[in-house]
Amino acid sequence: MSKNSIQLENISVTYPNGHHALTGVTASIEAGSICGLVGVNGAGKSTLFKAIMGFVKPSTGRVTISGMAVKQALKQNLVCYVPQTEEVDWNFPVLVEDVVMMGRYGHMGFLRHPSKADHEAVTAALERTNMTEFRKRQIGELSGGQKKRVFVARALAQGGQIILLDEPFTGIDIKTEDALIILFRSLAAEGRLILVSTHNLGSVPSFCDDVMLINRTLLAHGPVETVFTQENLVKAFGGMLRHHQLVGADLHDDEDKRSITVLSDDERPLVFYGETGGQKITKHGNKE
Amino acid sequence: MDSLLAFFTEPLAHEFMQRALLMSVIIASVCSIFSCFLVLKGWSLMGDAVSHAVLPGLALAFVAGIPLAIGAFIAGLFCALATGYLKENSRVKEDAVMGIVFSGMFALGLVLITKIETDVHLLHVLFGNILGITQRDLIEAGIIALLCAVIMLVKRKDLMLYCFDPVHAGTIGLPVRLLHFGLLILLALTIVSALKAAGIILVVAMLIAPGAIGFLLARSFDHMLAIALAASLFSCISGTILSYHFDTATAPLIVVIQAFLFLLALLGTSLGTATRTIIKA
Amino acid sequence: MEFLLEPFTYSYMVKAIWVSALVGATCAFLSSYLMLKGWSLMGDALAHAIIPGVALAYLLGLPYAAGAFFAGILAALSMNIVKRKTRLREDTVIGLVFTTFFAIGLLLVSINPTSVNIQGIILGNILAISNEDALQVVIISFICLLVLVLKWRDLMAVFFDENHARALGLSVQPLQILFFTLLSAATVAALQTVGACLVIAMVVTPGATAYILTDRFNRLIVIAVLLGSITSAVGAYTSFFLNANPGGLIVTLQTLLFIAAFFFAPRHGLWAKHRATKMILKGNSHG
Ligand SMILES: Nc1ncnc2c1ncn2[C@@H]1O[C@H](COP(=O)(O)OP(=O)(O)O)[C@@H](O)[C@H]1O
Ligand SMILES: [Mg+2]
Repeated sequence: MSKNSIQLENISVTYPNGHHALTGVTASIEAGSICGLVGVNGAGKSTLFKAIMGFVKPSTGRVTISGMAVKQALKQNLVCYVPQTEEVDWNFPVLVEDVVMMGRYGHMGFLRHPSKADHEAVTAALERTNMTEFRKRQIGELSGGQKKRVFVARALAQGGQIILLDEPFTGIDIKTEDALIILFRSLAAEGRLILVSTHNLGSVPSFCDDVMLINRTLLAHGPVETVFTQENLVKAFGGMLRHHQLVGADLHDDEDKRSITVLSDDERPLVFYGETGGQKITKHGNKE
Repeated sequence: MDSLLAFFTEPLAHEFMQRALLMSVIIASVCSIFSCFLVLKGWSLMGDAVSHAVLPGLALAFVAGIPLAIGAFIAGLFCALATGYLKENSRVKEDAVMGIVFSGMFALGLVLITKIETDVHLLHVLFGNILGITQRDLIEAGIIALLCAVIMLVKRKDLMLYCFDPVHAGTIGLPVRLLHFGLLILLALTIVSALKAAGIILVVAMLIAPGAIGFLLARSFDHMLAIALAASLFSCISGTILSYHFDTATAPLIVVIQAFLFLLALLGTSLGTATRTIIKA
Repeated sequence: MEFLLEPFTYSYMVKAIWVSALVGATCAFLSSYLMLKGWSLMGDALAHAIIPGVALAYLLGLPYAAGAFFAGILAALSMNIVKRKTRLREDTVIGLVFTTFFAIGLLLVSINPTSVNIQGIILGNILAISNEDALQVVIISFICLLVLVLKWRDLMAVFFDENHARALGLSVQPLQILFFTLLSAATVAALQTVGACLVIAMVVTPGATAYILTDRFNRLIVIAVLLGSITSAVGAYTSFFLNANPGGLIVTLQTLLFIAAFFFAPRHGLWAKHRATKMILKGNSHG
């Protein structure tokens, strides 16, 4: 069996109201790693996800998933999607286990009657995300982190090899974030392809292997170490970042020329430490 | 005791009342099932729009000599599709577009009906005529309604998933466009089946209130469906019988009873939360 | 020529044309705000919700505007309460309340069918409007227009950005209440010209048409008001010849203008956008 992958060839997306959300994105993403999709709000992260899932039709270009056309890949239940919290109607009368069971619909027959295997998959997914004790809760009765975990559990129950997560870290505490990161790591280690969008810079180096910087087009793509530089980030985020630089004189009394650069947009700040603030990345945010 | 029994059996001695009661049960069932999807999808006012928009369809179908139900169906569906198209292709907001389309169609229908001699009774279209329906109406409406109800119940999980999370529905390979248009087609069919007996006003109410009552009381979708169905059946049957005894219009009475049930549900849930907070404190 | 001027020889036609134009202008002014805010269906809801008030006023021999106003306020209050007490979506709450109020109105009428002309309320009967009712409509419209002309900038600030308006020192909530009061008043007036089912067109369509035609809010208002008053006057006028329901004609005209704007508007029309996209694609393939 060939490795799972996503191939993007010259993808452009224009919404019917005339807004050009993305132009000319070409990239190839391979399984077994976690790829971060980084950009400001409105950069087109969700749009790229929707293009990958065939939910918006690109005006130019082609998406190939594991060598197949999107439609075929979806039929095979290859792709799982974890939506942004704001996109979900939390008042909907469904229980946690109902939502996780939705991941199994693609495996069920015409009437969507769950089999024993479906129930088992749901139980296993709930266990793996530590949500077992909440399975009879209505989804609106959950905390921010639990809400996220329900949808990750749904993706696990679905069993797809490609998992797309749209801003899974917004609105949750650092502890839940770390638990999710550990889960994503183990999923990637099992050979899945994980694509995570975020506008939260600080956590990117701590869990991503690769990173795609986008702002209405692809700005840079590659391993975190080479691509996630201050120069690229300033390009991607423009003036949107709070930018604090503590240069040598503020830091120490000696002749050390190095400086600390702190880039943050809201949650975890990103810290650069070096002479120009350009090359070295501390592999952690402000994790205490 | 006897008189209480007679209260229910006396109306049933008349054949037209039997038909009316049967009709209201049919309409109550199909509309209440649909209302659950509409309330959850945020399409509550789509029922309002589509049921007004059938008017020109009725007039034109009469002129063309085809069954009125078909004209109504086409016009209703056209309204839903035109709303979607205009919204996608202009910067006007969805609610405004919906208002423009259905009021425009209703106005056109009004002009047509006052202009051409049709046997479309405007007041019957507006208010329904549940006491004057014929055997044939009953069979026609029954078949359409049964068809819709069965489709919705059999496919309720897919439709619910589509309302809840269309993107996920797409990623697991469900035919999202088919579900979207299927829901609109079912809506138009439901309205057509109910229109003759219930009239626009009652149809609009019956496509909202049962679902809203279910939403207040239920935590899972199947419960919501069951509660909506029960509430709707109760209001339709009691409304029909009461309107016979008190000699009032049937459709408005049913709507008022539904609203009363909604109020009860609202009081019940707020009392429930109030006691829970007191116990906690 | 004489044929075309014939309607003006009948005083009821002259009255109908003037009153329609006035109501059309008032509603169109409000529509500029309403359709921008996503509150379009409020107009429809209010128009239906005031029916029990109108029915009761006619039953008791009170001025119909008073009853309508009272019912409108009661409906707005009910919506507010239900919305705060439940997690229902706003559209569901609106639909629930207005259908209930409407049904109560119809129930009242069915109990005492002779005193109220229900078809007139629901479909409008501007050609047969009584002098007292016409007077009420004219007074309501003039007051609304006056307030709007004086306050249109404040309302715009509030509608565009509440927080900014607050920072400017405008009192936001009173202005919002003012707007809804004006809206209910205009609805009450429009009830007489086009009837309950078509009021929504009067308070949405002219504004939406103008919105496709221009990007500047003050021009938007002017265009909307012109469209609203002209279509209303022309609709009432042509109903003389066509012998059709004037409300239906007015709204059909407004809708036709909207469709024309949708396709042929200079910048935001479908045709113009289509050409613009073509140009861009051409540019891309050359570049
Ligand atoms: N359905 C839509 N119609 C029109 N424009 C849209 C639509 N969805 C998103 N956009 C626009 O496309 C741009 C990218 O949006 P999105 O992909 O959601 O950004 P992100 O997820 O990176 O915050 C935004 O400017 C947004 O306003
Ligand atoms: Mg997004």
